[in-house]
Amino acid sequence: MKKLFAILLCIALCFATAALAACGGDTGDGGDASGLTKDNIKIGFVHITDPSDMGYTYNHDLGTQKMAQNIGLSDSQIINKFNIPEGSECETAVRELVEAGCNIIVATSFGHADYMLTVAAEYPDIVFAHATGYHARFMGLDNYHNYFVDIFEARYLAGIAAGLKTETNKLGYVAAFPFAEVISGYTSFYLGAKSVNPDVTMEVMYANSWHDPATEAQVAQALIDRGADVISQHSDSTAPATTAEANGVWHVGYNADMIPAAPNASLVSARADWSIYLTMLVQDVLDGKDIPADWSEGLAANAVFLSPLNDAIVADGTAAAIDAAKAQIIGGFHVFSGHLKDNDGNNAKITTFEGDLIYEFTGPDSYFIESNEFSAPDFNPIIEGIFVMD
Amino acid sequence: MFDFLNPDNLMNFFVAAILAGTPLLFGTLGEILTEKSGNLNLGVQGMMFMGALGGFAGAYYYEQMAAQPVAVISVLIAVICAFLTAAFGAFLYSVLTISMRANQNVTGLALTIFGTGFANFFGEAISFAAGGYAAVSSETKTIFNTGIPGLADIPIIGKILFSYNFLVYFAILTAIILAWFLNRSRAGLNLRAVGESPATADAAGINVTRYKYLATVIGGGICGLGGLYIVMNSSNGVGGVWTFNLISYQGWIAVALVIFATWSPARALWGSLIFGALSVMRLYIPLGIPAQIYDMFPYIATIAVIIGVSMRRRRENHPPDSLGIAYFREER
Repeated sequence: MKKLFAILLCIALCFATAALAACGGDTGDGGDASGLTKDNIKIGFVHITDPSDMGYTYNHDLGTQKMAQNIGLSDSQIINKFNIPEGSECETAVRELVEAGCNIIVATSFGHADYMLTVAAEYPDIVFAHATGYHARFMGLDNYHNYFVDIFEARYLAGIAAGLKTETNKLGYVAAFPFAEVISGYTSFYLGAKSVNPDVTMEVMYANSWHDPATEAQVAQALIDRGADVISQHSDSTAPATTAEANGVWHVGYNADMIPAAPNASLVSARADWSIYLTMLVQDVLDGKDIPADWSEGLAANAVFLSPLNDAIVADGTAAAIDAAKAQIIGGFHVFSGHLKDNDGNNAKITTFEGDLIYEFTGPDSYFIESNEFSAPDFNPIIEGIFVMD
Repeated sequence: MFDFLNPDNLMNFFVAAILAGTPLLFGTLGEILTEKSGNLNLGVQGMMFMGALGGFAGAYYYEQMAAQPVAVISVLIAVICAFLTAAFGAFLYSVLTISMRANQNVTGLALTIFGTGFANFFGEAISFAAGGYAAVSSETKTIFNTGIPGLADIPIIGKILFSYNFLVYFAILTAIILAWFLNRSRAGLNLRAVGESPATADAAGINVTRYKYLATVIGGGICGLGGLYIVMNSSNGVGGVWTFNLISYQGWIAVALVIFATWSPARALWGSLIFGALSVMRLYIPLGIPAQIYDMFPYIATIAVIIGVSMRRRRENHPPDSLGIAYFREER
């Protein structure tokens, strides 16, 4: 009996090995950027969650699908690695994508950077792209690129809807983590609200997670308990939207149209269209063109946009105000402009992680072009009118 | 700006603490009942996930199919389905550990992984079929999020005592019933005997297998109500919209809370209030310390209780004697 079992196990293992080898294909040594056509190119994606998060990964995956449609790729040319944590599993996933013959490998979460870099250095023929990261600018690897979108422009527009709607003149913001990507996001949201409602203030509380629905709800509830009547968020779930709805206040979303989740609260959502970058990336690789080390575009390139307004509940004139501001931004208006100050009345200063000064807002003519030279956001001072509780 | 000592803020804090403590209370009560039978079921997190999915799916599909859905029926279906789905998870655990005598720790951990995957898989299927977000009707959402009509509007007292959704009162009632059952009823005493020394109970003519099965399955169902609370409540959950990975840590806190409460439903009552308060404290009473420190408080408190209990050496505060050990009748 034992012998029979051992033989069966051996046979099963042989089959498994053969099957794995077949899956791996014949390009075990990695892809080659030359001789690529849209029929044989392969693109691998590393995602921190899967599209069922209905948040960041969902939205990014929509971009992937749209890109595949734009270029005319078949499903088999896209390999997704979902639920890859920001740890050594990421390196394994990237290596598996290399083994599978991917010519382009994209990772979408901030913490994937280090693992991707290790592999990128070993495979100069494969193109690597990483969203939200900042390494491309100084690593000097020709095949490693960073990208992001100017989501702050969309948040500025979404802030207008909030600023016009609020009755208590107090906004609340459920933020994920205290670093520049998030701070840049909520500051632009606040500036948008302030552009139409000079009396508005905003309170920010951190959930300390990208996706922790119960905590996001607790944070939203605490903000509402403090008198906020429009809640916005930089986190994945719709929990802040449903919390706002249950309390009879309003909500501005992120990543997905949240109106179906909270029809009586969700005003509008700020979204990114990742297909703009992905289509350009893949097309450039096919054409043999150089790919920018850093890429971030906004409203003008349609890389960010607003989901449809919830016409039943937005304040009168919201659509017109948003359209006007959108035209201004496309026409060259900078979101982070003017004499921005901190809560003590000092000039707002953008600094690096180490504390070196990047930019100081010294007067009414000051402006900072966010995500211009480098794709990852830099804006990190807390400006007047925003109160952060941490 | 944050004048956190004003009475309104403190009242909001108290309400938020009760709301945050309730799912923990369900998990803790379910696990106390389970552990009193000598079964250490570490699958609370998984059963909460299963309860959340079952309750949500029950209410959602009823509302989709009924021509004129009635919110009260929808809520009732949600409660029953949540209980049954989680009880099914506990039943699988029982078959493996009681009938097949598998290792309880491993089976419990497997149940956590299974329940998480089960709920996320079917939850995703429901959401995709709904075209993105699957949500219950706003009438159903309202029932899970409003207090007792009339009484809740009384100033101050109404907010402190009557502003909670029915699951909060149901959880408190469950704790009282469970305390009475374990201390005052014959069946409860039999169950405790099974947990302390199954061989002795067996010799006394108590059907050990039946008690273990019933306690574990009903306990699992109670844990599932904690999941239902998280999927339906909006102040401390996802407010009736299915959300990926909606339960992040509550099941594990409940396991810690069982130890904190030293297996007593009455102590679980205020224990869950304390743990709930700790989980929202940083939002209402900022002390200027990192949030991560706040997150440690419940576990530090648990460790302190374990140390305290083992130093005092009172038998009532100890875990059931046969906890974690499968019962072999032939091994007596």
